[in-house]
Amino acid sequence: MKEKVKNIIENVGLPRIIIFFFLVSLFVLAPFVGISLSTSINDVIVRLSMNGILVLSLVPMVKSGCGLNFGLQLGIIAGLLGAVISIEMEATGFVGFFMAMGIAIFIAVILGFFYGVLLNKIKGDEMVVATYVGFSSVSLMCIFWLILPFKSPNMIWAYGGSGLRTTINTQGYWFHVLTDFLQIKIGSHIIFPTGTLLFFALLCFLVWAFFRTKIGTSIDAAGSNPDYARSCGVNVDKMRIISVILSTVITAIGILVYEESFGFVQLYMAPLYMAFPAIAALLLGGASVGKASIKNVIIGAFLFQGILTMTPSVINNIIKSDMSESIRIVVSNGMIVYALTRKSKVRS
Amino acid sequence: MRKRIIIRITLIVVLILMGISLYTIGKEHKVLIDNKDISMGGLTYNADTAYNVRVDNLEIGLLEKDERKAVKVVGASHKIVVEEIKNKISTGEKHEKKFKLKINENVTINLPAMVNNMDKWIEKIKN
Amino acid sequence: MKKQNLTGTMNPYLKFLIDYSVPIIISLLVAFAIPLSGLSGKYFIKELTIRLSRNSFLILALLIPVMAGMGMNFGIVLGAMAGEIGIIFVTDWGIVGLPSMLLAMLISTPIAILLGYFAGIVLNRAKGREMVTGFMLGFFMNGIYQLVVLYGMGNIIPISNSKILLPRGYGIRNAISLMGIRQVMDKFIPLKIGGILIPIGTILVIASLCIFIVWFKKTKLGQDMRTVGQDNEVARAAGINVEKTRILSIVISTVLACYGQIIFLQNIGTMNTYNSHEQVGVFAIAALLVGGASVAKANIFNVFIGVILFHTMFIVSPRAGKAIIGQAQLGEYFRVFVSYGVIAFSLALYAWRKRVEKENERRKAMAFKRMLLQNNNTAEGDKL
Repeated sequence: MKEKVKNIIENVGLPRIIIFFFLVSLFVLAPFVGISLSTSINDVIVRLSMNGILVLSLVPMVKSGCGLNFGLQLGIIAGLLGAVISIEMEATGFVGFFMAMGIAIFIAVILGFFYGVLLNKIKGDEMVVATYVGFSSVSLMCIFWLILPFKSPNMIWAYGGSGLRTTINTQGYWFHVLTDFLQIKIGSHIIFPTGTLLFFALLCFLVWAFFRTKIGTSIDAAGSNPDYARSCGVNVDKMRIISVILSTVITAIGILVYEESFGFVQLYMAPLYMAFPAIAALLLGGASVGKASIKNVIIGAFLFQGILTMTPSVINNIIKSDMSESIRIVVSNGMIVYALTRKSKVRS
Repeated sequence: MRKRIIIRITLIVVLILMGISLYTIGKEHKVLIDNKDISMGGLTYNADTAYNVRVDNLEIGLLEKDERKAVKVVGASHKIVVEEIKNKISTGEKHEKKFKLKINENVTINLPAMVNNMDKWIEKIKN
Repeated sequence: MKKQNLTGTMNPYLKFLIDYSVPIIISLLVAFAIPLSGLSGKYFIKELTIRLSRNSFLILALLIPVMAGMGMNFGIVLGAMAGEIGIIFVTDWGIVGLPSMLLAMLISTPIAILLGYFAGIVLNRAKGREMVTGFMLGFFMNGIYQLVVLYGMGNIIPISNSKILLPRGYGIRNAISLMGIRQVMDKFIPLKIGGILIPIGTILVIASLCIFIVWFKKTKLGQDMRTVGQDNEVARAAGINVEKTRILSIVISTVLACYGQIIFLQNIGTMNTYNSHEQVGVFAIAALLVGGASVAKANIFNVFIGVILFHTMFIVSPRAGKAIIGQAQLGEYFRVFVSYGVIAFSLALYAWRKRVEKENERRKAMAFKRMLLQNNNTAEGDKL
């Protein structure tokens, strides 16, 4: 029996177990400190649907051996461009939303292609370069948000007259188009974001199905054992580029879903650190630098958003102070550090 | 092996001593200077003239009757020099006193008491 | 497959251009932007003197891990945090002047050693991924720092000076005035040339650090580190404890960064408790790379050239941005972009060259093997 427990701890990893029990204890404590359990669970589900797709987007690149996508910001920029252009064209409702998505996907494919080519040239050091490529592109885009000729009065600075605002309200355009779709109201407090959740589930299913196709399995092979894959006739480099494009596209879709639910398009430096929560969530769900599955995405996103939701409300009521931000930093970054220090398969 | 441990312990002790001396040398203390009437043991000393005050070669300025000034000093040992001023001219009478401050000690100096060489011219401020 | 031959048999001029591509590009940018900014030469000299004396120590702290093959030590943030904790205590105790700075250095050293040791162990477990791990470790420690400084201080850790505590009674304020420690080292031996304060004290300290680094490279430990940096296996075969040496390089770097941050703060005179150390890693590393260093090679010249180029660009960007587009904000975003971009570019360049060299090695080894086999065959043939 002891052997079995020890095995589980080693496989799952001590930090994950600690975090899991931490979350469970938060849920247990909630009613005692006056937090409604049902509202909390509802909050977690809403946040899961908002952030889940971003976590999902990491999977293709992990599978192909490119590591964790620290350059997530590229896909986010594609999504932001799509959103902003769609609003500029005064498109509203579902039409506006899908138009944003279309533009975003188009840009994401182009960006993803170049990103993939770059990553192919630096096999083995993808993660650290990706981080800074992501950072520099966010700062570069800051310059562009300022000088691109957008005219929609909803988006530009009121008095200056030129340059986009830092946050743009999606209300009146496509705010909550998915969330309100097929919305289920339970009682007065619980609003089940059916649309967004269905969309998330749909994408999860598509990704899962994709990796059962011929290309999908080739990508998987390229990631787990490049030499063997090459000997089977798989063009490893091409597979990696495809996975990067796929990841970037999903990221673009993911940020749009996030914005639709959140209600704001956040430009300038806001996307700078957005890769880290997504990566932490994926790792929390059991993934590693070399391995990720849909299961990891769902479990991880749920756990991570759970911590994010429950910590502020519960702990603040107990200790009467707001430690949540610091705890979030410790948990999410600690998770990433932990995953980076685990011995993984040697790749050539 | 023994030698290494001895060297290390000596090093730590030296560092701790250095730390304590730095603390003492660098600690800031507050000194309040009063030019007020003061009565002790039945005797009263009146503050009837103004004084020009210098602490550690830093010019504090003129203290009129019933005036109080606050000064920050650094370290343990200090010197205060007072010059009597009557009708805006110095009478030439100077008084000088040295005082030492312990760690975390802040003091009040009473000028009439000091000028008259009383024991309790300088007193600790109780927090 | 042309690339394989690039680094080996390259035209030396081309090689120089690629090796020093970053400083060259930045120099061009700076040369372009200086006239645009409309700032006087005297202003530059004054600003650069300040910035050189303020930042050099921190950047010098990066040199030793590079020597030991750990790459760019993003973990100097940990050292900076240790230094800040020392300063918080010294400010709380009301110590001023040069003694306060020395005392801050004294008490933060054990903290820096501890954090450096921790970082060294973590980095050893992430061999091959040191830079990303160091980077994330910095963020992680920032969270711990926040928990300690924002919640622990005033609570579990006794702080008596209410001026630096938040109104709620515990937790350090966002910005602390460091008037007591302001410019104590800079003004140590006061010297003014043409209205510019020359910080002799700081310059002496920086010079001593440079001498220390040069001396260190010649010691046995220094040589060990260089061997470890070249090739782990060779070092191990030579009897060097590779793990311990790597950890030691990080510890030294962290302690130096701790002092460097204290020097930085004494020059500025105020401490942003929660932000001062955030960009320390990025800006220091960017400056070093702009000075021509790479992940595998960095020397003292890189540090000073880097500070001059990088900070000139820093000074000049907002004004140049205003001159070009009419918005200073553009210049600010531009310099952030350059900071990150320089790192991305240098790291990518280094990673690419590393791969190309590895490929070259592999081909050479295969060719050698083939040759050996051929020789064997001919020998066999002779025997027959």
